[in-house]
Amino acid sequence: MKTLVNFFPDLFQAEVEETLKRIQSHKGVIGTMVVNAEGIPIRTTLDNSTTVQYAGLLHQLTMKAKSTVRDIDPQNDLTFLRIRSKKHEIMVAPDKEYLLIVIQNPCE
Amino acid sequence: MATSAQPWQLGLAGSAGAEALATSGTASTEGPERPGPLQDETLGVASVPSQWRGVQGIRGETKSCQTASIATAEASVQARKHVDAEVQTEAPEPVSLPSVPRYNGPQLAAFLRKVEAMVTRELNKNWQSHAFDGFEVNWAEQQQTVNCLHTLSYPPAQGQGLHVTGVSWNSTGSVVACAYGRLDDGDWSTLRSFVCAWNLDRRGLSPQQPSAVVEVPSAAMCLAFHPTRPSHVAGGLYSGEVLVWDMSRPEDPLLWRTGLTDDTHTDPVYQVVWLPEPRHSHRFQVLSVAADGKVLLWQGVGAGRLQLSAGFALAVQQLPRNTKLKKPSRGEAEVGATAVAFSSFDPSLFVLGTEGGFPLKCSLSAEEAAVTRMPSSVPLRAPAQFTFAPHGGPVYSVSCSPFHRNLFLSAGTDGHAHLYSMLQAQPLTSLQLSHKYLFAVRWSPVRPLVFAAASGEGDVQLFDLQKSSQKPTVSVKQTEDESPVYCLEFNCQQTQLLAAGDAKGTVKVWQLSSEFTEQGARETELLDQLASEVAS
Repeated sequence: MKTLVNFFPDLFQAEVEETLKRIQSHKGVIGTMVVNAEGIPIRTTLDNSTTVQYAGLLHQLTMKAKSTVRDIDPQNDLTFLRIRSKKHEIMVAPDKEYLLIVIQNPCE
Repeated sequence: MATSAQPWQLGLAGSAGAEALATSGTASTEGPERPGPLQDETLGVASVPSQWRGVQGIRGETKSCQTASIATAEASVQARKHVDAEVQTEAPEPVSLPSVPRYNGPQLAAFLRKVEAMVTRELNKNWQSHAFDGFEVNWAEQQQTVNCLHTLSYPPAQGQGLHVTGVSWNSTGSVVACAYGRLDDGDWSTLRSFVCAWNLDRRGLSPQQPSAVVEVPSAAMCLAFHPTRPSHVAGGLYSGEVLVWDMSRPEDPLLWRTGLTDDTHTDPVYQVVWLPEPRHSHRFQVLSVAADGKVLLWQGVGAGRLQLSAGFALAVQQLPRNTKLKKPSRGEAEVGATAVAFSSFDPSLFVLGTEGGFPLKCSLSAEEAAVTRMPSSVPLRAPAQFTFAPHGGPVYSVSCSPFHRNLFLSAGTDGHAHLYSMLQAQPLTSLQLSHKYLFAVRWSPVRPLVFAAASGEGDVQLFDLQKSSQKPTVSVKQTEDESPVYCLEFNCQQTQLLAAGDAKGTVKVWQLSSEFTEQGARETELLDQLASEVAS
């Protein structure tokens, strides 16, 4: 794995970009971002201040949701978080190291 | 009783005494035994008690009194040590994204590969879902009607018959200020008038007593609070001057003034606006528009003077000829500007309302020099780039939409409000809101399709383009006798408040119903649709 990175660093870079582009091009998607385990945004399609706000707040909320699920049933774990608001829906896919946040404006 | 003297007793006593006298005398002369010539003898004193009047003495008794001794005690007081502290708010720092941290490429790719399928599934489901159709949640208590929260006035100004010519909310949304002046004819060039401010969040708010009052030398025509400093307010006067006050200093509120120099406006200033400086975006300049056709940018320099930093002048010859305009009468080269509004999307683009009734699209970065005979320390430029189709009378108010870059409203004395798009000269729609004049029109800061208008018939009208594009959704009567409402402003911090000032000298603060303060689901799209309609 390590040698692959040294020889083809762009390979994974391209894959990451392509995947994010695919997600972003779905119907109604306003913004996509990837946040690391500390809540620092790594990739984003929105502007700086909005991204920083979303990253910080949603990271905290995801941790809280995860601990809620684990407290209710220690064998259970959080797989997906959706927040629906008047204007749009925020979807968070959590993982050990990263968070994928997608904001979509659903058809009414 | 003095007359009850008894002289006979007196005489009797006297005669008895005399008898004794006589007897003793004769005895001495008769007695041969006693040889003696007349001898001296002393006789007893005869006293006669007076019975004239009983002596009524004044009966007196002597008494004395003494106040009890005053108790005194000595004590000393000493202030404990104290410390001075200052508080200063800082302008907010712009948010910056920290530099992208190093991350592990393959791990990120693996993560994305894992979640992509799930996310895509959810996105598709969401797009087709009807689960939330018609599902509304009410977090706040719904206010059903528009009602008047406060009626504020300043009796000395009302006593002089002054109108409220401008209102403004400050940057924190808790203070509303109004400028007094006169908008109709009258001897108001020498009238001293006032600028008053009320702090609505203070307890014990007295509607007749403003928390700050500033006397101004001439009628005030317009007012604007500083965008970040809560106590600085700029105002334009009938004499053409522009002044900036600090309302938190009651003893000397005047901060800066333009004075009456060659650069100052020669006609009443109709509107003042605060603009960020081009290089230092936390400092602000004042822009003023007046009926002499000049649009001037002022900067505060030391010693309380406002200095001209840039200026524009409108001349009829230099107006873009894309619309047919009325031919100007001979000698008239200036176009008076009566209203200004800046676009929220492009900070150098602004719209001017003119006395001729046609709005003008202008730019701060225009280069062409203006053809004008007015002397000026800074070269004046011609700002107009596009002329829109005119109203039937002067335009008193323009407002750019905060949600769409191309839309703006203008209100004129013909009673119509026109909705224009920056891209075409003819208005998109024209709404007749009043049979008399329309003095002010403002877009709502929270709902893209709502705007408010102040009419010459004393109404404040609220328009919701989503509900009806022909008649107002709500129309509230501000004045009972149909005297006009001259100005209105939405409160950007407390979005349910709307302040309106009228010709009777009162400012009414209206609380809007929830339908005007909560954005619906797809309003921005509807606004886009409206903007892209081409007027037939």
